[in-house]
Amino acid sequence: MGEYTLLYILFAPFAGALALIFVSNRQFMLVRGIAAGSAFVSLIASLYLFYAFDPVKGGYQFVQKFEWSKQLGISLHLGVDGIGTPLVLASGILLFAGIFVSWHIKDRTKEFYIWLLILAAATIGVFMSLDLFFLYFFYEMSVIPMYLLLGMWGSHTKKYLEMTEPEGLKLRDSVGFIFNFGSNSKEYAAMKLVLFLSAFAVAALMGILLIYKYSGLNTFDILVLREQANLMNIPVLGTTLDKIIWMLIFFGFAAIAPLWPLHSWSPVGHAAAPAATSMLHAGVLMKLGHFSIIRVAFEILPDTTRELMPMAAVLCMFSIIYGGFVAFYAKDTKYVIGYSSSSHMGYVFLGMAALDYISLSGAIIYMFAHAMATGMLFAMAGWVYDQTHTRDIPSLGGLSNKMPFISGCFVVGCMASVGMPGTVNFIAEIMIIVGAWNKYPLQVIVAVLGIVLTMAYLFKMMRSLFYGPMDQKHSHSHDAVSAVDRLPLLIMISVSVGFGIFPMHLYNVVRSGVDPLIAKITHVVPVASQERDASDMTREARADSPLTNPVTLPDVSRLTSHASRSDQ
Amino acid sequence: MNFDLTISLADLLLLLPEILLTCWLCVLLIVDFAFPRLPKEQLAYLSVVGLVATLGCLAWFDLNHISGTLFGNMFVLDRMALFFKMFIVGATILVVLASMEYVNRFAFFRGEYYFLVVMSALGMMFMASANDLLSVFVTLEFSTFGFYVLVAYLRNDLASNEAGLKFFILGVFAAGLLAYGISLVYGETGKLVFSEMASAPATPGLMIGFLLIFAALGFKIGAVPFHSWIPDTYHGAPTPVTAFLSIAPKGAAFAILLRIFFVALATFKPMWIFLLVGVSILSMTYANIVAIAQRNIKRLLAYSGIAQIGNVLIGLAAGTKMGSDAILFYLLAYLFANIGAFTVVIAVSHAIGSDEIQDYSGLNRRSPFLAFAMLIFLLSLAGVPPLAGFIGKLYIFVAAIKEGLYTLITVGLINIVISMYYYLIVVKTMYINEPVDLSPVSISSPLKAVVYVGLAGTLLIGIYPQPFIDWVEAATLMFSHLAAPSAAVTPPIPPFGG
Repeated sequence: MGEYTLLYILFAPFAGALALIFVSNRQFMLVRGIAAGSAFVSLIASLYLFYAFDPVKGGYQFVQKFEWSKQLGISLHLGVDGIGTPLVLASGILLFAGIFVSWHIKDRTKEFYIWLLILAAATIGVFMSLDLFFLYFFYEMSVIPMYLLLGMWGSHTKKYLEMTEPEGLKLRDSVGFIFNFGSNSKEYAAMKLVLFLSAFAVAALMGILLIYKYSGLNTFDILVLREQANLMNIPVLGTTLDKIIWMLIFFGFAAIAPLWPLHSWSPVGHAAAPAATSMLHAGVLMKLGHFSIIRVAFEILPDTTRELMPMAAVLCMFSIIYGGFVAFYAKDTKYVIGYSSSSHMGYVFLGMAALDYISLSGAIIYMFAHAMATGMLFAMAGWVYDQTHTRDIPSLGGLSNKMPFISGCFVVGCMASVGMPGTVNFIAEIMIIVGAWNKYPLQVIVAVLGIVLTMAYLFKMMRSLFYGPMDQKHSHSHDAVSAVDRLPLLIMISVSVGFGIFPMHLYNVVRSGVDPLIAKITHVVPVASQERDASDMTREARADSPLTNPVTLPDVSRLTSHASRSDQ
Repeated sequence: MNFDLTISLADLLLLLPEILLTCWLCVLLIVDFAFPRLPKEQLAYLSVVGLVATLGCLAWFDLNHISGTLFGNMFVLDRMALFFKMFIVGATILVVLASMEYVNRFAFFRGEYYFLVVMSALGMMFMASANDLLSVFVTLEFSTFGFYVLVAYLRNDLASNEAGLKFFILGVFAAGLLAYGISLVYGETGKLVFSEMASAPATPGLMIGFLLIFAALGFKIGAVPFHSWIPDTYHGAPTPVTAFLSIAPKGAAFAILLRIFFVALATFKPMWIFLLVGVSILSMTYANIVAIAQRNIKRLLAYSGIAQIGNVLIGLAAGTKMGSDAILFYLLAYLFANIGAFTVVIAVSHAIGSDEIQDYSGLNRRSPFLAFAMLIFLLSLAGVPPLAGFIGKLYIFVAAIKEGLYTLITVGLINIVISMYYYLIVVKTMYINEPVDLSPVSISSPLKAVVYVGLAGTLLIGIYPQPFIDWVEAATLMFSHLAAPSAAVTPPIPPFGG
């Protein structure tokens, strides 16, 4: 282990995928074993990474650097800071859980696991890339497996399946069908996802290429670029270059996040995807957007970030409210969870937009927390779908008699998603709200209303799925009884609750990554950042402590005159 | 101008690969004639042996840095020529292997097929060495001659005959343009050798002459608006010939284009850059949009090839050393992906007798290997990491952005997304649609070998490109005087992308 930890985490799933190519599709257990084994290696290594990460030292740790192309200035530069570490851990957990959630896939099992492992490995690759080229490389690499996973093992919406009469079949083939929302085929969802994400990814690539050119350093290395690149005050097209680059990077990556006007691929994709893919998709793939914005825009263009980030604060309100309302009226289990994800990602944007130590830390923790909560919900929605072959909420009901375990876990999942104290989501939400309050009170009010909305739609779905009268045609459905089926849910629940009760290490790790970043962007230094180690108090107490009110240190006061935080 | 045609034995050494291949051509013809009962597969293996020997010879030249010029500068052997010769011979080997099964469809002249393929390769090897306008004309016609016959090889197939006729008429037309252009250029400058033209004044006659030469080469590479023969010819020609036509002549023509634009016309860059930007944008955009509507895999690959050429032209428009590196690298990536894709088409059409995309339904269930290979090749053509095509595209974009070609890069990036759509439609047909017929699709071992080579090349170049980048960089050292502006200077931003 030790210094090569990142390589184990990254290449174990790739190695697993490679090994699976040589295994026959008929040897079910061997196929599953290899997939689970490689995911397990990755999980253990990422757990080690998480606990071996030294929050006092901070900075980028476990750094690995291999020159890849000197002419193009690319190196495989891997390393994690406090922001990447929890996300790597979340990916490891969700991949391992996802392997077990998809244990019963019979059709082309081997290929399913190959693409799932590649998807997860590519995602992990983004979280540890310190090179713009590789960040894009892994980012784009994670999109294509989604196409096959959705297309081959996904499911159509109910409305699409109902279109079996000649009229409907004709409608299915018509050009205008793509505007017929709500009746989507899995092929449509998959194609939309890939084209949408690729279209915005190339915008981000344009931003990356512009950084490469105008830095004049002939390198894609983020650590070099953030120290040496001078991209400010170059006039172009009536504005300045740094703003154009920032917009390209921000919107390029915000599409996968997904920020409000760019979200439309996401619920469709979630709904069509098989359970494990939805888990990874909502759990970690969407975080690639926030993470890449932080890693590229925040690190390389801190001053522009301070100037333009309020835009995200406006858009995130629409994300929260729009996603929440659609989720409330949606009739499809996966649409509800999908829209709830896209609504919850608005909280992360709020936390990022406030550019505050507490709120940004909250945003990072929220990403981790949301990965667990939404992972659970998608896993259970997938179980219900496998048992009843429908995602249509009105036709379901009373399933708690048949599946008490799933029903119980669903309650926990809803609680976590809502942000019940005791789950890590609560800590994250409270940090975002407290941290952003000084700067964006309106958005915080919207966010709190969003929590109420979350309760409304999740409890509504829970009631109509598990309680009330049951349709007789679902009487053959059964509970998750075997260890294999229960394991993924138990893992995610225990992680969510565990970090909800003992969040200190997570918080310290995240803070060690957030502190230098925010100091660089806002030129405001947090008070009492040294006394952190002495305290043993819980996160809830800390959120209300004076930490939330950073004061300006005398030696940087010159710089704070244009720090927007002090303007408020 | 005086032509010094006395050559010594040492000079002949420079011609060794070509001489070797010429002798081998005679051997092929004699063996075919002398042993009529010999199975034609043996002839294919025989030509592969000759081609591999030539490839070895070229590689030996490359490692020992053998270079020089012949016939009063008409023929040049430098590392770029060697790169393209290896490129062409390598492509020919793969094509010969991929043809073996297909050739059995021909009613007559099975043996001559291999002769013609190798002869075209020989012509293209000369093209890669052409260093003045006369040799450009002679070698271009020499290489095209074999293709005229090959395209129309399926005598009873109307489509093949039509393809041959179309190719022939437009090819001869292009040859006329080329000859006219050469005469104009010679009339204006009195020079034929590229390197001697560099200092010529930019007169209208010279510009028109070069425009005509570019048009003729544009026919060869199939750039819009000179592309009209490509879809029909690719569609009608025997598939291995299509594979050959889609890659080897492009490489040879780019060798000539590089020499013309980077040597003869280096000083006129501000003028031709607009021409190349325009042609590149048209090629990418038009071909990618039209490809969406294709229902035949060969036509789809034809349009995708036009779009790829548009991408390569971005590197030419950059007009720097890095641009030339990127072109070579891109062509290398394109070679493996394209030949691989056409080989899969050959294998599938052999098994199910159709080239319609619709008939690829459920290929994943019928032959997981072929479907996977096709997936990798198409994604590489689309430019998806970690495959060769992605690195190639990125290389081209990096070279272009250093020259500030923003419009061109923006169009190129948008086109990546458009192209992804039609490549993914094929992927959807293979992977998501259910097969009508569940019988497995088998594949013969020579075809399998070609697919393996294509897969290995596509993945290796994508995952570990450094040796290949070093190779192409060394191959274009002759252009190092066109170095990109030094990194320290921030270049001014042009008013618009041009």
